[in-house]
Amino acid sequence: MDWSALSVSLRLAAFTCLFLLPLGIWWGRRLATTSFRGKGLCEALIALPLVLPPTVLGFYLLQQFGRDAPLGSAWAALTGGGLNFTFSGILLASVIANLPFAIQPVQRAFEHVPANLREAAWCSGLSPWQTLWRIELPLVWPGILSAAALTFAHTLGEFGVILLVGGAIDGETRTLSIAIYDRVQAFDEQGAANMSALLLVTSLATLGLVYGLAGKRRWSRG
Amino acid sequence: MGSLASAGGHVDDLKVTAQQDGPIPLNASFCCAPGELLALVGPSGSGKTTLLRTIAGLYQPEQGRVSCAGAEWFWAQEGQRRSLPPQARRIGMVFQDYALFPHLTALQNVQLAMGHLPRVQRLEQATQWLSRVRLQGLEARYPSELSGGQRQRVALARALAREPQALLLDEPFSAVDQVTRRRLQRELALLRQHISIPIILVTHDLDEATALADQICVLHNGVSLQQGTPEALFRRPASPLVARLLDRHNVFSGEVVETNAGRRLQWGEWRLEVAEGLDRVELGKPLAWYLPPSDIVLHRRGRPSQGERENPVAATVSEMVVLGGMTSISLRVSHQDMLRFDIATHAAKRNQLRLGERVHVSLLAEGIHLMPEQQMHMAPYNKRNLL
Amino acid sequence: MRLLLLLCGWLLSAPVMAGAPIVAAASSLQFALEEAAQQFTQQTGQALRLNFGSSGNFRRQIAQGAPFELFLSANEGYVQGLYDEGHVDDAGVIYARGRLAWVQPVGRYDQPDEQTPLAGVEEAIAALEEGQRLRIAIASPEHAPYGVAAQEVLQKAGLWETSEPLRVQGENVSQAMQFALSDEARGGLVAYSLAVAPALSGRSETVLIPETWHTPLRQRMVLTPQATRAAHAFYEWLQQPEAKAIFDTYGFSTD
Repeated sequence: MDWSALSVSLRLAAFTCLFLLPLGIWWGRRLATTSFRGKGLCEALIALPLVLPPTVLGFYLLQQFGRDAPLGSAWAALTGGGLNFTFSGILLASVIANLPFAIQPVQRAFEHVPANLREAAWCSGLSPWQTLWRIELPLVWPGILSAAALTFAHTLGEFGVILLVGGAIDGETRTLSIAIYDRVQAFDEQGAANMSALLLVTSLATLGLVYGLAGKRRWSRG
Repeated sequence: MGSLASAGGHVDDLKVTAQQDGPIPLNASFCCAPGELLALVGPSGSGKTTLLRTIAGLYQPEQGRVSCAGAEWFWAQEGQRRSLPPQARRIGMVFQDYALFPHLTALQNVQLAMGHLPRVQRLEQATQWLSRVRLQGLEARYPSELSGGQRQRVALARALAREPQALLLDEPFSAVDQVTRRRLQRELALLRQHISIPIILVTHDLDEATALADQICVLHNGVSLQQGTPEALFRRPASPLVARLLDRHNVFSGEVVETNAGRRLQWGEWRLEVAEGLDRVELGKPLAWYLPPSDIVLHRRGRPSQGERENPVAATVSEMVVLGGMTSISLRVSHQDMLRFDIATHAAKRNQLRLGERVHVSLLAEGIHLMPEQQMHMAPYNKRNLL
Repeated sequence: MRLLLLLCGWLLSAPVMAGAPIVAAASSLQFALEEAAQQFTQQTGQALRLNFGSSGNFRRQIAQGAPFELFLSANEGYVQGLYDEGHVDDAGVIYARGRLAWVQPVGRYDQPDEQTPLAGVEEAIAALEEGQRLRIAIASPEHAPYGVAAQEVLQKAGLWETSEPLRVQGENVSQAMQFALSDEARGGLVAYSLAVAPALSGRSETVLIPETWHTPLRQRMVLTPQATRAAHAFYEWLQQPEAKAIFDTYGFSTD
């Protein structure tokens, strides 16, 4: 059991969720409730990581994260560190790769909130923030939970992008899924089996916990 | 039950004007006094909901003004705009599909609108409102556990709990069945006795408008054509279009002529006396005119006119449609125009009315309404044009 | 809720291994270097983080700024290239010479013979004409030095073109070894160090390929500019007799 790889995987999944959930709520709501020029393009870009082969995404990110590329050099100027082969790099890659998982379920949930519910709240005297907090969020909570669960589970399983951008550095960018690959190549079948089983159990437990919670408080449409 | 007066003392009309070319064309203007109910009627797409949303603050047209209780809620002209958000306008809005918050009980729904009251009072007041709309005992139910009529009452209670300065109803009864609708209409009429704020009701149901409204404003393609009491509209529509929108028939083409006995309205072969309006019209110019069905009097069989009846007209029974206790009669006159009116079915039987029969009717001079600026742009009584 | 907090605490704690030198090593060293590293850690108390993969891949990553502190390549060219491009400060040292071997799954075919080590390849090519597809595994010549050696060997024997429809390439020589021992393969040309490793020796039948048949696999290692003192220490240790002895047991030549 590669404990440092497990730690990297769990940290990656947790931080990805942490950064993506507010973004998912903000953009999911925006896409569901407003229309603006370029919205279609925006939605297509967000959905891109769903269909793009992870290696393609990894390749482009690897290039853009390099110290000579605009993004990479800006990062180096800001933080003094690099993006490729670092935890920050794979975190950023993971955030990008998980955009559709974090945004789409939230967007769907907000789309199911009838527009006139928001208007009824405003007419009843609630400010837009109060409306979001007291009317919309209680109704879209299952969607947000789905987004969290999917993002977490998907990040645990992410392989191609992380490998290309991260380089499988032990303790830094070697995630559990990469460690499994490593163990297979090292002919350590037992080690690979142990870690695979753990990943499976962790994913199932996450999904079970999240959907169990969501099931308890599901509001039927009035 | 106290009456609801607008907050702030001085009470004034709700005045609305709105103009824009698109995306929804508007050119409307109407007003509603406190305690009055104004119905906005018109076919779908006539802009009535848009205008209601404009009053609520949910829509801002390019130009216009909305003021209520002496305060200006909205003002827009030539690119400049000042608009109060819905929260600041203190309006109560009842939506077509209730728009109740599904995760809150009926009581919590109503309490949500009471932000202007201190927290300690909200529970009691909300319970009171729910009992005013006859929902006592159902406070703890969720919207999914209520019937359509009950949900609409919660929506009404929530709107009124806000102690608004205007009450806006967007086709509030269209989503419930006929029986419930009548009950709700009755209750609204009862509640009105204790409300002295302007009430705007959007509906496409003419009967509902007639039953509930003090004033009706007729809309078509975003243009307000006429505002008045139901009787005024039904007796004196401003144009054939208004008559058509109000489902009034008996709009005809005619001409004012000078005779020995004075001015008369020439209609086909007849010269009709008109109680008022003949002097104001140019001679010889074709105009449109209208007659309410109540002003068509059937002569009793066997007692034809001998000159003492007003405007006697002979016609052939072209259509008889029995609709329960009333029968709708269409009479064709010699120049092919159709007179339409209703009589009690038993009266029709008593007069032994039959298709193809020649009958005589009187057209009451008081009821004839001249529309001199208007022309009939339709072929005489072509059913298709009236749709 | 408490469980959640505990989990968060554990997640956010920095990895305990932070600070241990990161070593990039050719896949052929999979077992040899692990043993060496264990010895080193036992003796000095200094932990190490080992990464195995194809030498070419590591060479590219180091050029792109990967944080490796020590690079053990399976050839000289990659280290030389890094030195020429200025990514490392010196040309490193040769730590061992590797050997190529033919391996095949145990018990399935005739035992390989030292005189005719490529007999298996020839058999597979002959079987192809009868419609049988038996695979020959090598590491990718693009980024694995053992793959280059395998190519040289096959070309020299005139079997490169004819074996083309049967060849499968592993991304690195470990993966090539896996392919070579799979059911679909007749065998493969892989690192001898992998074939004789205790973990694997029971699974394969193996025979050495004469060194003269390919460019010698002189394996060079080099420290990168990021190398810490611990990395330097390991670098020195690997040149000691103790380390050399370990390499010897895995079939490397260290003279």
